Amino acid sequence: MKKDGLIYTVIVSVISAFLFVFLLSLAYGATKGKVEENQRLTEARAYLVAAGIEVSENMDIEVSFNTNFPNFDTDSAYQTTNVNGKSVIVSPFQGNGLWGTITGVIGMTFDLQRIVGFEIVSHVETPGLGGRIDEAWFKTQFKGEYAANGIVVKHGGSGGDTDPDNGQVDGITGASRTSDSVQVIINQQIEKIKSELGGTN
Amino acid sequence: MDEDSPVQILKNNIWYSNPIFIQILGICSTLAVTNNLTNTVIMTLGLLFVAAFTNLTVSLLKNLIPRKVRMILQTLIIAFYVIIVDILLRAYLPEISKALGPYVGLIITNCIIMGRAEAFAQSHGPLISAWDGITSGLGYMWVLMLIAFVRELMGFGTVFGITVLPAGFTPWTIMVMAPSAFFLLGTFIWVAKTIILRQEGGK
Repeated sequence: MKKDGLIYTVIVSVISAFLFVFLLSLAYGATKGKVEENQRLTEARAYLVAAGIEVSENMDIEVSFNTNFPNFDTDSAYQTTNVNGKSVIVSPFQGNGLWGTITGVIGMTFDLQRIVGFEIVSHVETPGLGGRIDEAWFKTQFKGEYAANGIVVKHGGSGGDTDPDNGQVDGITGASRTSDSVQVIINQQIEKIKSELGGTN
Repeated sequence: MDEDSPVQILKNNIWYSNPIFIQILGICSTLAVTNNLTNTVIMTLGLLFVAAFTNLTVSLLKNLIPRKVRMILQTLIIAFYVIIVDILLRAYLPEISKALGPYVGLIITNCIIMGRAEAFAQSHGPLISAWDGITSGLGYMWVLMLIAFVRELMGFGTVFGITVLPAGFTPWTIMVMAPSAFFLLGTFIWVAKTIILRQEGGK
């Protein structure tokens, strides 16, 4: 058969496309369970962190999750749990970042005065810039922060913000848009929890 | 010396025709990932893997592939390996996969891979092509690591996330942002070219 002929070209293209895509779907199928498992653990871990529970490297996340959220209700917008005798409201959030959806979990004290914990589950922000919202220093800033009137993710200035009572956290250098998005997402979520709680009480 | 000997290929890809500062290929990612050494290492390892296997596969299939659809099939092969890398990261290194996000997918558009497949693998044997892919990846890696080292050190005061500069150090914001990669790359090309020209002049 002529190597530059139409039929040969079509046959080779179809066979190679089929073969490579087939191999890909095999690889995808083989790792699917593992990926879903990772996703589930990431979410469970996020709930624990948001509830203010210390998550260490070698603890069994699933066991801890089941002890802390025995009545986990997937239909509800928020979960309540008791951590060290204090009621905590934990709620999953999602909103628009710079490039795509940011999802995560936020925990608040029952009176909605302070943030207990904040964890990102997924985002597609720029690695090294907006992607730094997933770094520990950024996320732990929210822990204990006064948020009755919402929070402000600050730009500029130097020295950083260490006061947990002013409702302000440090933004990320070079990622103002992502920092703004996080501020909007968190404030919307706090409002949402407020109205949900108001609706049921 | 034989142009196609393994040693000469290594030398060329690492220095004399380095993909970054001589061929100026694939520099888009120098801007993006090099403000952090850890991300840079993973990204360049991903590129090395994809370049090696793409070259190997293209070289193996080169006699079967009709010239007309050569490029599109190369792209298919590259995309195949990039998605494999993405799947593997997702399954076994979820943290890294989360940190790199969309950049793994962007390896597809890295010109080094396509460039080497077209310029080398199309006309050479499978093993030597794979070697060319590996050494191109290494040439890419060391330059990017050097840039990332300077950017992370000046931008955050850290190396691989470990603080090395004293607490009083004021981070250079510009080093975190994309433009600093241009400044550093430009400076780097200047230095490298000067050395190469001096070597040639000395012959």
